[in-house]
Amino acid sequence: MEWLAILPYATPVALAAIGETIAQRGGVINISLEGGMLMGAFFGMFASFLTNSPWLGLFAGLAAGVAITAVFAYFTVYLASDQVVVGTALNLFALGLTGTFYRARFGQSGQILSVARVPQWHSLDAVTLLLLVSVVAVNFLLFRSAWGLALRSAGEYPKAAEAAGFSVHRLRLGALLIGGAFAGIAGAYLSVGITGSFAENMSAGRGFVAIAMVTFGRWRPAFVFLASLLIGFADSLQFRFQAYGWNVPYQLMTALPYLLALIVLAVVGKGTVAPQALGIAYRREK
Amino acid sequence: MLEVRNVSKRYGNLAALEDVSAMFFPGEVHAVLGENGAGKSTLTAILSGFVRPNLGSVKLDGQEIPLGRAAECKRIGIEMIHQHFTLVPDFTIVENLALSRLPKLAALSKVEERAKPSLAAAARLGWEVDPAARVRDLAVGEQQRLEILKALGGDALVLILDEPTAVLGPDEVADLFRVLRTLRDEGKIVILIAHKLAEVLAVADRVTVLRKGRFVATAKRDEVDATKLANWMVGEMPQPPEAGARPSQFQPGLRVDQLVVKGDRGDLAIRGITFEIGKGEILGLGGVDGNGQVELAEAVAGVRQKAAGEMYWSGEEQMPKTGYVPQDRQTDGLALLMSIEENLLIGGVREKALTRGPLLRTKAIRAWAKELAGKFDVRGGGPKDPVGALSGGNQQKVVVSRALDGGPELLVVVNPTRGLDIRATQFVHDTLRSARDRGAAILLISTDLDELFALTDRRYFLSRGALVADAGALSVVGG
Amino acid sequence: MKTRIGQLALTVVGLFAILLLTLAAFRLPIKDSLSLIVHGAFGDKFGWSRTAVKSIPLLLTGLGMVVSWRGGMYNIGGEGQFIVGGLLGGWFARWGIQAGLPPAFGIAMILICGAVGGALWAALAGLLYVKRGVEVVISTILFNFIAIQFLNWAASGPLQEAKHQLPLTDLLPDNWMLPKFDRQTDLHAGVFLAVLAAIAIWGFLYFTKAGFKLRVVGENPRVARANQIQVMRTKMLAIMVSGALCGLAGGVEYVGTAGQLGAGFSQQWGFLGIPVALLGGLHPLWAIGSAFYFGALFSGSENLARFTPAGTTIVYVIQAAAVLGYVAMKALNDRRITPKEAG
Repeated sequence: MEWLAILPYATPVALAAIGETIAQRGGVINISLEGGMLMGAFFGMFASFLTNSPWLGLFAGLAAGVAITAVFAYFTVYLASDQVVVGTALNLFALGLTGTFYRARFGQSGQILSVARVPQWHSLDAVTLLLLVSVVAVNFLLFRSAWGLALRSAGEYPKAAEAAGFSVHRLRLGALLIGGAFAGIAGAYLSVGITGSFAENMSAGRGFVAIAMVTFGRWRPAFVFLASLLIGFADSLQFRFQAYGWNVPYQLMTALPYLLALIVLAVVGKGTVAPQALGIAYRREK
Repeated sequence: MLEVRNVSKRYGNLAALEDVSAMFFPGEVHAVLGENGAGKSTLTAILSGFVRPNLGSVKLDGQEIPLGRAAECKRIGIEMIHQHFTLVPDFTIVENLALSRLPKLAALSKVEERAKPSLAAAARLGWEVDPAARVRDLAVGEQQRLEILKALGGDALVLILDEPTAVLGPDEVADLFRVLRTLRDEGKIVILIAHKLAEVLAVADRVTVLRKGRFVATAKRDEVDATKLANWMVGEMPQPPEAGARPSQFQPGLRVDQLVVKGDRGDLAIRGITFEIGKGEILGLGGVDGNGQVELAEAVAGVRQKAAGEMYWSGEEQMPKTGYVPQDRQTDGLALLMSIEENLLIGGVREKALTRGPLLRTKAIRAWAKELAGKFDVRGGGPKDPVGALSGGNQQKVVVSRALDGGPELLVVVNPTRGLDIRATQFVHDTLRSARDRGAAILLISTDLDELFALTDRRYFLSRGALVADAGALSVVGG
Repeated sequence: MKTRIGQLALTVVGLFAILLLTLAAFRLPIKDSLSLIVHGAFGDKFGWSRTAVKSIPLLLTGLGMVVSWRGGMYNIGGEGQFIVGGLLGGWFARWGIQAGLPPAFGIAMILICGAVGGALWAALAGLLYVKRGVEVVISTILFNFIAIQFLNWAASGPLQEAKHQLPLTDLLPDNWMLPKFDRQTDLHAGVFLAVLAAIAIWGFLYFTKAGFKLRVVGENPRVARANQIQVMRTKMLAIMVSGALCGLAGGVEYVGTAGQLGAGFSQQWGFLGIPVALLGGLHPLWAIGSAFYFGALFSGSENLARFTPAGTTIVYVIQAAAVLGYVAMKALNDRRITPKEAG
């Protein structure tokens, strides 16, 4: 069952990426995904610390992810502001907020923080199960529900969605909030699931890797999941390659997931499968 | 019965519709005819709830329709098939049909079920439809069918079609008419916006003509013929100007040979056209928007790559200094947040007088920009003010002045006086004439008939990417 | 806001308000905190020097962001470019010191290596964009993380200090570092370089053909294309100049302050250039003020950190809030400038 051991490594990116798939299908690139994960990681840890319940930790992480993504949604959907500027600002905000709270509460004493973790069984736990269920559920949501149909039309050709009587703004807001929830849980899993601790800037770019995975997975939940598994495998290598007897600098292994994501993006390019209205703010005509 | 009473709509200073009344009866195909800018689109936008009129009322079977509320107009049975389709290219046919019939979002998409009424309508109309086909793989005519099926998915009482034949081939047009007659026989009110006489005469039962926002006449099909309709539509034919003192000998300037240009979606926008413009001549290209004007202009101006064909200037392959006035000043003509001076500089940055090596000569630029803006009477701001704050007319002046500065030998100009008042229009026309008199070859693409006749020495009309010769009012209206 | 002075006043007031609000939000006593910050930033010559030293990399990376964002390229890779710039400088230093090169020349070369390293690192992302359509937003961030690992590897490997004990490079000898004003404080000659760079970039953007074309491409690539401006080439230039500035920042930090490279070489300077640039209205001269303000904040917050648990990360929050405020204002402002036309 050794390959199951990859799952925990893949889970944060995979969850975030699946949530991001929903948002991008609606036409929005959530640049603040990284910030959502970081908020989830910190508040997940904090809640677990206070209540000794990893489940409350997960929930708090989810809420934190939703909260920061709601701000992103307000600026980019309703004010039609630049997605990159707002996303970058929110990532910075998350970095500062979590860092400040962490230092304020736990100081730089270097004490080894250990909070209650989600119970595991052979590398499987509730969150990885959630991930597996999500792949199916999100697929259903996107391709079999009315909301999914409307959302996808908003991401492809917003005028059609509006002509059919839907509010593109409201659809995108919903998609972003769901994505934020996923990001929050994904981040919380980092602290409450894998490590049982928190470190500043813990998300370490996983949010951006997740965004790259959405492109790699051609905006289909199942492929996004598989792509994330690949990245998880690369991520896990940094702890295991020595056992394989590879004689490479371990920094290369740490850099491997990012390199892989880059190569993937370069090879895949953009193509025509992307939702056509992706990244373009929609201004409703008066 | 759909009754329109004294409807008026103004956009700022422009009167799109002025006190228009009409009546549309069930069991009839009723065509609304008019030239560009006559008000047909505004009228139908009001009828379908997309636009609210300033004055007047519209009643369906005695009840006032919810003006300005498109979704509710749909609910009471007024359906509109737009010229620009609102189809999701990546979706299948049934997905598009289902999208327009979703009851609420908290439900399953049940795509096949929701598409059933439309598919049944397709069968009734004798159309074969492959439900799983993706819209982007469909021909334009098939896409239009899908739009019509969308409209028929509910209980439509009124069907409004906006220039449906503009994108169809002759066989498709015949089929469309058959369908319109079937729908008419089902007792629906069928309203057809058109400007092609032959087609209108072939299918309409009743005709209403608008001109410059006003009602001109309405009549039964049997009471009119092509000439009568053309005269109603055009009013007085503009007189081509006096021959004047211009070189009677043709001096070869631009020669375009079998030019093929692709549109943004890979479609063929220009299908192999050939024409020449002599030096000191203005060639006009008229026709309804969407027939390849923009793609042709961009290809000649060197902004868009041609797919096939050749272009020569004075027999050589090298194109001369070209000035280009694009169709849409806000997206293609100006950087709205930059200043007037900077916008002028976008074109002038190649001038030797304004640069010293890699550097800009700011003083010279300021003086040049001021002079240019003054020459063209750009009002509403100083050279440092953002161009986006100017009125539409003044923005256009900036674009035109930039294109004309420096005496280009070839000018490509698309609807240069759109949105300009009379004085500004006259000024631009005079400037174009002077450029011509100085020996420039000018390609003028315009949907404004008056402008076309006032300025051009020869003219063609663009229809579906091909050239149509000029033959009086009938060819003007595309008979 | 009609006048520039009006906008400036509003910005200053807004920034001050955000500072106060953030302090309050973290339940810090406002008056005491403010005085700690101000004293830390300007209280004595140590404070001034600390402020200036922190402003230098902020200004340089800020300028880098100004150039790339003005050209329509979202360069988020300032961090990686900073690091690679420093790294290339470090490689040269090791070789140059051994070869006995004259120190003044050596310093100059390190700075040049910084710029070149950053430009090349940025060019990688630029090429991916031009050739493969990979959005720079994503690729530059991934390059950041790769650069960090690259640095870690170099500092524990080929560039490691002579005793091979710590993951750090050798400390540069004093004569291979930028001259300082005062033996007691850290302020070095890099401050001139940074200000000169700001002026140079200002000249570039507003007084040269290439700079003008860059701005047009950033404002409206369609107009640029319609007027025979090469959009892709200009964007490559934008991101490479941007990378060069960030790499130069790395070089300056190396020969000015740090003296050695290691895991903590970059403290988010590359990333922080973004809010500096945005709050300076993406203008190279205003960026000086913006960089100075944030430099003061960082410097002052170090003092704050000694007495409260808050620490320096609070400045990130202030910056982020300031950017969001700026974005909101811009949204309102732009609505005025693009009026809707009929027909």
